[in-house]
Amino acid sequence: MWKRFAKGITFTFHLAGINNQNFLMRDDETGTYWQQISGRAISGPLAGTELDPVYSDELTFGLWRREEPQGTVLKPVKQDAGNYESRNWEAQVARAPTVLDFPASGIGSRELMLGVTAFDASRAYPVSRVLSEKLIEDRVGGEPILLVVGPDETSMRVFRARLQAGAPAPEYYRQTAHVDGTDVRAPLFMDAATGSQWAFSGCAVSGKMAGKCLEPVLALKDYWFDWRNYHPDTTVFRR
Amino acid sequence: MPGVCVRTARICYCDQMQWSRAARWPLVFVAAAALVSLACVAYPLYVIRPFRQQGARELSAALFVLQIGPWLSTVCVLACVALAVYAWRRMRGWMRAAAVLSVVVAAAGAILARFNPYERMMFHPIRGPQFESANEAHIDSRDMVLAVRLNHASHAYPIRAIAYHHVVNDTLAGVPIVATY
Repeated sequence: MWKRFAKGITFTFHLAGINNQNFLMRDDETGTYWQQISGRAISGPLAGTELDPVYSDELTFGLWRREEPQGTVLKPVKQDAGNYESRNWEAQVARAPTVLDFPASGIGSRELMLGVTAFDASRAYPVSRVLSEKLIEDRVGGEPILLVVGPDETSMRVFRARLQAGAPAPEYYRQTAHVDGTDVRAPLFMDAATGSQWAFSGCAVSGKMAGKCLEPVLALKDYWFDWRNYHPDTTVFRR
Repeated sequence: MPGVCVRTARICYCDQMQWSRAARWPLVFVAAAALVSLACVAYPLYVIRPFRQQGARELSAALFVLQIGPWLSTVCVLACVALAVYAWRRMRGWMRAAAVLSVVVAAAGAILARFNPYERMMFHPIRGPQFESANEAHIDSRDMVLAVRLNHASHAYPIRAIAYHHVVNDTLAGVPIVATY
């Protein structure tokens, strides 16, 4: 997700090609080609220009509509709806060949990763690990972060773990009690420093920090081969 | 026989040979221009294919060809036509057929150089995205959406849909954004 303006120009983008299975966009205004995953112009009059990212989440529709009751959803395009992906599309794509492999990593090309690029570093987290552990405390570029799985046990978010700038990050604990999967304000985890309980929104719903929110960190769900190709210096969470 | 002038019904055979030879080089250039026009389409299509690895240099070259292709192929068509007309009277039989074919190939290249197969044939773009409330949307609760929130306004893009369209030019809370997948 990108802001579609730079250098004083608002762009209209079109799908224009593919680069090692990550697609290319082209803008109508200058004819520049942009890489989808990086938001960087790779050829044309604005080559080298970078679009600003926009924070976004990949969530289940059920969780999103409870968090954003006033939000609106993209309508299907009637003449194209027959071409939309089927419900099991991810399983089908998982079997598709890749043009790049990184066998030395020991990670399958189509393994789904939650990629984080922040604090001048990149790190990839196997989605299966995040979903099974539900709460992961880690560091990216030396900065403590928190990976959290939502009450729907599918959606994931990443937050900066410090409660205050400059202060050390506390330890966090996942709530062991049964979580109501339909309640977006249900406390999912608590911090050891203040005993506050936090919801999937990253905001404290009770305790000393009630009403305060952790800073979200942009994360991207991506196949390993694609993430690794565009983040060659990435590290991988293997604990 | 070379150098022998055989006079036929009104045309000297020797003259015919000289005229054909004079048309040879224009025909070569006509054919070359047609091939260049065709290359403006063929090279990027060859390099930028799904399920094919793209090297950095060849991709850069292919994107460069894509950008200059429309006008270069137009120049090739004009050159083809001009040369063919110039040398037409000196051409006979197969030469004229070859010239016509070259012009057709060059024209095809010029047309296809302006054709985006990704959007025309493979994935149709969304022109002017429309939105509806969550209550109106026929989406399963377990289906995934790409969700964005700006200044208290929120949009969700069903992933099963944008995995087809790939690009959605949108404006949210007055901010132009592009949702990609």
